[in-house]
Amino acid sequence: MNSARPGHPSGAASDLVFSCRDVSVDLPHQDGVRQILADISLELRRGEFLTVVGPSGTGKTTLLRVLGGLTAGTRGAVHVNGRLIAGPPADVVIVFQDYSHALLQWRTVARNVAFGLEGKLPRNEINERVRDALRLVRLDGHDDDYPWQLSGGMQQRVQIARALALRPSVLLMDEPFAALDAMTKAQLQDELHRLRDATGSSFVFVTHDIEEAVYLGDRVAVITGAPGRIERTVEVDLPKPRDQIVTRQMPKFLELRYLLHQAIGQSEHA
Amino acid sequence: MRELERIFVRVNWLGLTTIALGFALWEVLLRAGFAQYQNLPAPSAIADGLVEITTSGQLLADTLHTLRAVLVGWAAALVLGVVMGLLLGASSTLRRYSLASIEILRPMPGIAFAPVALLLFGFSLQMELMVIILPALWPVLINTMGAVMGVHARLFEVGRTFRLSRSDILRKIMLPAALPGVLVGARLSMTLALVLAIVAEMVGNPAGLGYAVVREQQAMRPELVFAYVVVIGALGVVLNAMLTGAVAVFFPAASGRMREAG
Repeated sequence: MNSARPGHPSGAASDLVFSCRDVSVDLPHQDGVRQILADISLELRRGEFLTVVGPSGTGKTTLLRVLGGLTAGTRGAVHVNGRLIAGPPADVVIVFQDYSHALLQWRTVARNVAFGLEGKLPRNEINERVRDALRLVRLDGHDDDYPWQLSGGMQQRVQIARALALRPSVLLMDEPFAALDAMTKAQLQDELHRLRDATGSSFVFVTHDIEEAVYLGDRVAVITGAPGRIERTVEVDLPKPRDQIVTRQMPKFLELRYLLHQAIGQSEHA
Repeated sequence: MRELERIFVRVNWLGLTTIALGFALWEVLLRAGFAQYQNLPAPSAIADGLVEITTSGQLLADTLHTLRAVLVGWAAALVLGVVMGLLLGASSTLRRYSLASIEILRPMPGIAFAPVALLLFGFSLQMELMVIILPALWPVLINTMGAVMGVHARLFEVGRTFRLSRSDILRKIMLPAALPGVLVGARLSMTLALVLAIVAEMVGNPAGLGYAVVREQQAMRPELVFAYVVVIGALGVVLNAMLTGAVAVFFPAASGRMREAG
């Protein structure tokens, strides 16, 4: 997997999964084009949990789509594993916000999770991976249910399991917990951390919830404005494993929360 | 056994009682002389007629002919309609070129083509099939096209993020997502195919159940005319039930949505 190429400092190339240089995105609009993102420079290190936080309408989802290869940058360059991105990269999977549209409603839970593996692995290995993925998101026993028979939180876990079954090196998650109740959300947050420790995957996690961004992230990128720009990035040096009660009461957590509120608030008033 | 019980529970016994009472009333009114039409047979006479055509083997031959025409015509309409519907649903360019023609052709009463079909193919099964296929095509085509256009864009993005090939996106996402719509079209088309087969046999190809009705009418056998009408009605019910049953067995996830829609 060491794809360092001449012209790239080899250390940086192997350590970085994604690197964006001055990426801007213009998308067609009723009258001409509208700029969604401006001069985004951002990196994702291997094994890192990067959260992207900002108000709605700042292009967070567009940024995620650029990384996932669904939307092409208008200007600037996006490299994935040292190569220029061209379409959805291998080993990178998006988990969408709207699980009910993203799941295949005519397939059972198990067959939804198997979706990305079919034809790529032998049957028994697929079954094994499906079982593992469902156990990781605590949905064992629901193999034969259809998505519409599950609650919203369970459906979102099916979508996460479907991404995990691929054992991707990067998961791109677009406000995956936005529609869930607080308790399910807290539970899934901790599951994500467990998964990161178990798989070593990197995460880009988009959210508009500042506390969630701090709690989950190794690093938080604040994105503000229209078009969206990276206002600042903040290292989160909170101890691991994180704990819903202890971590959230640490002075450091509160300090970071304040910092991010300010970063977002300032740009709002400017 | 559980299947049987389920069917027993689902049978509408009260509804059947109403039908039986209707027949009884009909029989009584005729026998008592309240209603007097020379050519209106009593239900008992119709039942005798049914026995007569069944034992003579005439009914089986007529039914098999019509069934064959309906199934072949319906299958052809299904294949053509699904293929064209998929193409039109997927390509806005194709829609721009052909929707105008479709909107002109679609409201035309298909049976008006019967004389044309007769000129082209004579008194033959081909004539019958042409009369069936043209009108039976539209429900499949329009429903398939609509279903494809209605597939949520997110599903295609799911296909892309999992790096599916174009053919896999068609096979694993577009087709199954559009399936409930296709099935609704298939069901409408099946009903239509039976009606058209009967009419084609009445005015054109002298064979099958449609022709049998005309034949017995000309032979002044009203009880046989009614017997054939009963068979045609039963055939419609059976065909529809078989299609619904097949869908429930082969596409369990789609059958619920088809029942809602159809």
